[in-house]
Amino acid sequence: MTTSTLNPLRAGLRLPRTPDACALVVFGATGDLTARKLVPALYNLARERLLPGGFSVVGFARRGWSDEQFRAAMKDAVAKFSREPLQDDIWESFARSLHYVSSDFGDMPGYERLGERLKKEDSAHGAGGNRLFYLATPPTAYAEIAHHLGEANLSRSPSGGWARLVVEKPFGRDLESAKKLDQSLGLVFRERQIYRIDHYLGKETVQNILVFRFGNGIFEPIWNRRYVNDVQVSVAETVGVEGRGGYYEESGALRDMVQNHLMQVLALVAMEPVASLHGDGVRDEKAKVFRAMLPVGDVGRATVRAQYRAGAILGQQVPGYREEDGVSPASEIETYVALKLMIENWRWADVPFYLRVGKRLPKRATEVVITFKKPPLQLFREMGGDNIDPAANLLVLRIQPDEGISLRFGAKVPGTRSDVRPVNMDFRYGSSFGVEPPEAYERLLLDAMLGDSTLFTRWDSVEASWELLTPVLDAWLQGASPLRFYDAGTWGPDEARRLVEQDGREWHRM
Amino acid sequence: MAPDVAGIERLEDHEIAVDPPAIEAEFRRIWRDTSGGEDASSIRLRVLNFVAFAHERADIERFERVVRLLPQRHPCRAILALAGPEQETLRAAIAVLCWRPAAGAAHICAEEVRLFGGAGEQQEVASAVLGLLVPELPVVVWLMDRPELGGRMSGELIDTADRLIFDSAGQADGVGTFDRVLRAGQRWELALSDLAWGRLASWRALIAQFFDGEGVKQLSQIQSIEIASGGGSLSSEALLLAGWLVSRLGLSLADLNTSAERIEATLYDRTRGVTLTVARDDDAGAAPLREVRIRTSEATLGVEVHAESAHMHVREQWDDAPARRTVASLPGDDASVIAMALDDYADPAIYAEALGSALALLASPVAGS
Ligand SMILES: NC(=O)c1ccc[n+]([C@@H]2O[C@H](COP(=O)([O-])OP(=O)(O)OC[C@H]3O[C@@H](n4cnc5c(N)ncnc54)[C@H](OP(=O)(O)O)[C@@H]3O)[C@@H](O)[C@H]2O)c1
Repeated sequence: MTTSTLNPLRAGLRLPRTPDACALVVFGATGDLTARKLVPALYNLARERLLPGGFSVVGFARRGWSDEQFRAAMKDAVAKFSREPLQDDIWESFARSLHYVSSDFGDMPGYERLGERLKKEDSAHGAGGNRLFYLATPPTAYAEIAHHLGEANLSRSPSGGWARLVVEKPFGRDLESAKKLDQSLGLVFRERQIYRIDHYLGKETVQNILVFRFGNGIFEPIWNRRYVNDVQVSVAETVGVEGRGGYYEESGALRDMVQNHLMQVLALVAMEPVASLHGDGVRDEKAKVFRAMLPVGDVGRATVRAQYRAGAILGQQVPGYREEDGVSPASEIETYVALKLMIENWRWADVPFYLRVGKRLPKRATEVVITFKKPPLQLFREMGGDNIDPAANLLVLRIQPDEGISLRFGAKVPGTRSDVRPVNMDFRYGSSFGVEPPEAYERLLLDAMLGDSTLFTRWDSVEASWELLTPVLDAWLQGASPLRFYDAGTWGPDEARRLVEQDGREWHRM
Repeated sequence: MAPDVAGIERLEDHEIAVDPPAIEAEFRRIWRDTSGGEDASSIRLRVLNFVAFAHERADIERFERVVRLLPQRHPCRAILALAGPEQETLRAAIAVLCWRPAAGAAHICAEEVRLFGGAGEQQEVASAVLGLLVPELPVVVWLMDRPELGGRMSGELIDTADRLIFDSAGQADGVGTFDRVLRAGQRWELALSDLAWGRLASWRALIAQFFDGEGVKQLSQIQSIEIASGGGSLSSEALLLAGWLVSRLGLSLADLNTSAERIEATLYDRTRGVTLTVARDDDAGAAPLREVRIRTSEATLGVEVHAESAHMHVREQWDDAPARRTVASLPGDDASVIAMALDDYADPAIYAEALGSALALLASPVAGS
C-alpha cells in the first residue's frame, strides 16, 4: 500500500510522499563529488521541503575533521555549487543535521564509531533505523566498505527500518571485475538494497525519452525497422580530463561513458513499451534490449578509438591528452569512441545503432538522432526541381544543452518549381517551461531515500553491458582497431566518418 | 519564478483598432519583421490563451506584473479585457513580450492584447476576446476581481474556457464568495483554480509530511488544531486550510461557535473529539496565515511562516525533544501561483471538499443567522 492511500492529507499534492526519516552516510565526504553534487543536492531538497524531519547526514572520510569543520567546508561547497543560492537561515537549519566521522575505510573501529553515531541519530532525531550508505569513494574502496559495514552489523537496520547502498560509477572495469564487485557487495547487501547510480538517468530530458515515446500516440507506430534507417547516440564534450588525468588513465571513454550512460540512453530509445512505470517494468525491458544485442564481432570494423592531440577549441589553444597532468606521455587511452551495435529483435533487426563519445570536440552536446527511411518514391524528381532528393526525416532528441526535440521534414520552396528544402520544427524545453529542472542528483537521492529504484541500474543490465563491451576492450588490447588521433576542436578521426559511411550513412551534424 | 530567466522586454507596444482580423494582421507583420530583421532568431511560442477579465484600472498594473513572468513558464497569447470604468472608451493595444531563456539563446516571444471598454461595452469587449483566441490551444480565464460568472463573460466564452482562475481571498463577503464558487464549479463543469488555495501549497505539503510513513499513526491521536490567521477578519487561506483538514481527516462537526475573528469548533472522528480553533492573530502582519499547530497525544507539530523572509519553520516536539527546521516556501505572487495552477497537480475534488467544509465552519448557528 502506498503512503498516499494511508495518509489522507497527501491526496492531490504534488508528491505522493516524502521519504521516511533516515540517516545518509556519505563515504568519501571530503571528496569532490560530495562537495560538487551531493551536499548541494541535499541542501536544495531540504530547502524545497522534500526531506523529512529526522533526516541527518553522516560524512565519513580519512581527514581528521570535526563536525564543525565538515559543516564549514560544506557551506562553502553549497555557496559555490548549489542551484539555488545559499540562504543563511535555511543553511543553519540544514547544517545542524550534518555530522562527521573520521576514519580510514580499512579501520574497523571507525565503523563502530559510525554505528554509535547512527544510534545517536536514531534516538535524537527519530531516524527509525533507516540508513542510506553512499559510496562517493574511489571504486577500489567499494568492496572493502561493504565488507566492514557487514562486519559492523550496519547492513541490516536494527529496528525494522531499511538499509540501502548507493554505488557510484564505475561499476567494475570489465566483466570479471564487475562480477567480482557484485559478489563482494552481494555477501553483505541484497540486490534490492543496492542502488547503482547513473546520473544520466536522473536527467529530466533522459526521462523525457520515455514520455516522448510512450506518452504520445504518434511516434510508437513508426519506431521500428520498417521506418527507421539508423539511430545515433552522441555525447560531445569540449572539456578535456579537467585535472582528473589519473582517473582517466585507468578508464578511458568506453568505460567512463559508453558502458554506462550511452548504453542506458540507447536502451531507453530501443526498449519495448512497459505496462507501468512502477516497479521493475522499465528495468526489465532495458535488460531485454541488452540481451538482444549482437556481439560486436569484427571489432576492427565496428569500432573506432582515438585520442585528442593539441588543438584549438572555442578560440583557445589546448594541450593534447598526453600532455595533461597525470597522463603518461605514451598513453594509449582513448578519449573518443565510435561504435556500431545491432539489436537482434523484431523491432530493430538490421537497424544500426551508432554510438559516439569524445572529449575536446568542437561543442558540448548530447543527443539521440533517429533517421527515418526516405519515401519509397522520388516523386518530385519528375517535376523538375533542382533540389529533388529530399533529405531523410530526422527526429533529434537533444539531451543537453538546450534540451528539446526537433523534427526535420521537407517543404516546398515557394515558387513555380518543385524544390524541396529541409526545414526543422523545433521544440525547446527551456523556453516552453521556463523552470529550471532539478539537478539529476536531487532526483536520484530522493528516489533512493524513497526506495524507488526505477532510475538506478540493475545488475543484469550492468552485466549484459560488460558482456558486450569487454570483448571490445580485449580486442583493442590485442591491436584490433589501433588508436587513432584527432586534433582538439575537430569532430574526431576520419575513421569515425568511415565507420558510418561504409554502411551508406553519415553522422548527424551536431 | 525561475531565477535564470531574464525579465521580459516589451516590444512594439501600440494602440490599434478593436478589430480582431486587423490585430492578427498586425501580429503577422511584427513576426515577419522580427524574423527578417537583425534578430532573425526570435521564436514565437504559444501553449495557451490567457484571458484576464477586470473592472478597475488598478488591475492593469497587476495584469502587467503577471505577464512579465507567466509567459516564461507558460508561453501564451495574453489578453486583458477591461470593461467597466465609466470614462473608458472602446480601444485596444498590442505588444510583443520577449525574453531570452539563457544568455546568448534565441529570443522567445509571446503576444499581448489589451482591450478596454466603458460600462456599456462589455459585450463588445467579450466578443473581441472570442475573435482573438488562438484555435486549438486551451483557454484559461482569470477573473481578476470577483469570482462571478455570467454578465461580463458571455456564455460562449465560458463554454470555450478550460480553466477559470480567481482569488477567493480579499473578497468582502467570504461566505457568499465560497458559496458562489461552489455553485459555479457545479454548474459549468469548469476546472477551478483558487489562488488562495494555491498559496496553501507549501502549508499542505509540510503538514502532510508529519503524517507520512510511521507518522500516519498520529492521525488518530490528533487532539487539537489551531490556525492563526492574518487579515482584518479570518482569511480565506485560513478558512480553506481548516476546511481541508476537516474534510481530509473525515471529521464531523459537533459544536460550533463562529464570529468574524474566531471560529471554535468541536469535531468528531467516530468517538474521539478534536478541537479546532481558527483565530485572527495581530502578529500575522500582511501574511494571510501565520501558524498551524496540531497537537496529538504524543507530539506537538507546527508550521509557521517567518514574516520577513517568508521562509517556514517546521517544529516537531516529541516528549521533551524539540526539533525545528527552516525551509523555503513557494512564492505567493499572482504569477507564480497562476503558473503552478496551470501545471495542475491538483485534484479538484480535494478543493471542493475543503470549500464545502469551510462553508460549514462559517455557517455558525450562533453568528450566522
Ligand atoms: N567527481 C565527480 O564529478 C564524479 C562524477 C561521477 C562519478 N564520480 C565517482 O564518485 C566517486 C568519488 O569521486 P570523487 O571525485 O569525489 O573522488 P575524490 O575527490 O578523490 O574523493 C575521494 C574521497 O574518498 C576518501 N578516501 C579515499 N581513500 C580513503 C581511505 N582509504 N579511507 C578513508 N577515506 C578515503 C577521501 O578522503 P580524504 O580526502 O579525507 O582522504 C575523499 O573523501 C568515484 O567513484 C568517482 O568515479 C565522481
